Amino acid sequence: MPRVHRRQRTWLARFVRHYPLGAAAGLAILGLASLAALAGYLAPYDPVANDFGAMFAAPSARHWFGTDAFGRDVLSRILYGARTALLVGFASSLVGATIGGIVGVTGAYFGGTIDLLIQRLADIMISFPIIILALAIVAILGSGTVNLIVAIALSFVPRIELVVRASALSVRETAYVEAARAIGARHWRIILRHMVPNVTAPYLVMLTAFLGQAILLEASLSFLGLGVNEPTAAWGLMLSGAAVEFVERAPWMAVFPGLAITLTVLAFNVLGDSLRDALDPRLRT
Amino acid sequence: MARYLTRRLLLMVPTLLAVAVIIFVLVRVIPGDIVELRLVSGGSFVTKSVIEAERARLGLNKPIWRQFVDWMSGLPRLDLGRSMWTAAPIIQEIALRFQLSLQLAIMSTLIAVAIALPLGIAAAVRRGTWVDYGVQVISVAGLATPSFWLGILLLLALLSYFHWLPPLTFTPLWVSPKANLLQLIWPALAVGYRYSAVTTRMTRSAMLEVLQEDYVRTAWAKGLAQRVIVVRHALRNALMPVVTVIGLEFAFLIGGLVVTEQVFNLNGIGKLFVDAIARRDYTMIQGLLLLVATVYIVVNFLIEALYVWLDPRVSYG
Repeated sequence: MPRVHRRQRTWLARFVRHYPLGAAAGLAILGLASLAALAGYLAPYDPVANDFGAMFAAPSARHWFGTDAFGRDVLSRILYGARTALLVGFASSLVGATIGGIVGVTGAYFGGTIDLLIQRLADIMISFPIIILALAIVAILGSGTVNLIVAIALSFVPRIELVVRASALSVRETAYVEAARAIGARHWRIILRHMVPNVTAPYLVMLTAFLGQAILLEASLSFLGLGVNEPTAAWGLMLSGAAVEFVERAPWMAVFPGLAITLTVLAFNVLGDSLRDALDPRLRT
Repeated sequence: MARYLTRRLLLMVPTLLAVAVIIFVLVRVIPGDIVELRLVSGGSFVTKSVIEAERARLGLNKPIWRQFVDWMSGLPRLDLGRSMWTAAPIIQEIALRFQLSLQLAIMSTLIAVAIALPLGIAAAVRRGTWVDYGVQVISVAGLATPSFWLGILLLLALLSYFHWLPPLTFTPLWVSPKANLLQLIWPALAVGYRYSAVTTRMTRSAMLEVLQEDYVRTAWAKGLAQRVIVVRHALRNALMPVVTVIGLEFAFLIGGLVVTEQVFNLNGIGKLFVDAIARRDYTMIQGLLLLVATVYIVVNFLIEALYVWLDPRVSYG
């Protein structure tokens, strides 16, 4: 155990030294996660409590980021909204990358008709913009947080599947896979012991690359009223309706949640780029 | 070359057929009866005969295979059925909005290219300097900014500095070019900036690769002007991946502007799609999905044709 521990630490130290920006982004994400986790203690107000005496209140000492059309505290809603964003972001990219990875490795390993069918299906799914695919799935499942996660995850699957499959194809041709087959190892053993460990790099890279996308998608779908439902605090939801209608009267309603989305996605993208360069530079576009 | 392109063109037919089949299945997977959902969800009492009549009107009482044959046999005639909401032919509803979405997509793409090419080239030529880092910051920020939020900020700026908002009704280009451009330039800017990010990165990395080639070094050694080397030797050869990215993004822009169209109250394809989902207008969803996929497949073909034209080295059998 101590040996493994040391190896991990040196990897982390190398990452911090070579990719200071990526490390800073990772630190920012940790900070955001702690803010989200401690939202119950940090938020000055209840994020869903209406206060009709304080509608459209400008930023002040009482409400740092002002209040919205229902008198709800914008800062508190942003803090709680971070929970929604991180939950949907992590859950959907984890599920999407895992399904995509499993399908990609299986297709690459078995080849033949199954692989061909999977590829055709993936090609077709890719001909839809991600947001259209996610919207179509939401149309089938209905809105709500869980359905939103499923919709975003499924719309990622074909894109991740293609990348993982490409890596898995080259692993399949290696001598050790051939050797494993020669000694009569079972399919699942070869897949789990020899293929999967060798495609973890592209899997992790795709997982982090889609995190920012997932948070953007969550915001977009919630903005359209087809994602997270009111009164749950979500950044995209905060930007819809009154935030656009009364943008001149209460610009803080639109400015702060958008800033939260942009900075969060920025952090995830920078971290994703650094991880990609560190783990698998071939995936650079 | 002509034979190669003809074959690619013919290959689009089975792909489109497969797309149509998948869309049909996808929409049928929707649980529950569409008619009951629409008539009863309001809480009102409806007799069974009304529901049956509505089902018959929408053709939902026919067996699945019959519905499938109807949908597939309509496709060659561009007959996508009728909207379950307005009862107008879907192709008509789409045609009304397509013009706006197409123009917006073209304008956004032009803006994206106008930002991306100079920035990408400058970053590659001045690699590792503050120019390069500045360009990278601009493009990383562009990728992270939701274009609909950028749109809201633009509206805010217009309101506070000019006390003016883009009009709510759409003016076609030929009715009044000025009014039309004044209306569409803002969403195009919001979307164009975001989409320039990917193209900027692609231009930079493609240029970096080409700038290391031997013939570029030879050109430097011959004492050619920098402008000639960058534009004629490097850019021309770096253009192919850039053109691909631009083309694919353009294809996505036709149907993918769902959120931005909502912010600017534009009645385009994306807004039609969101409305169709909200109204559970399943025939419309079906038609729009097919349209979006078709645009993507056609643009893909055009990119490939452009490849053949741009790169005379590649011979296609």
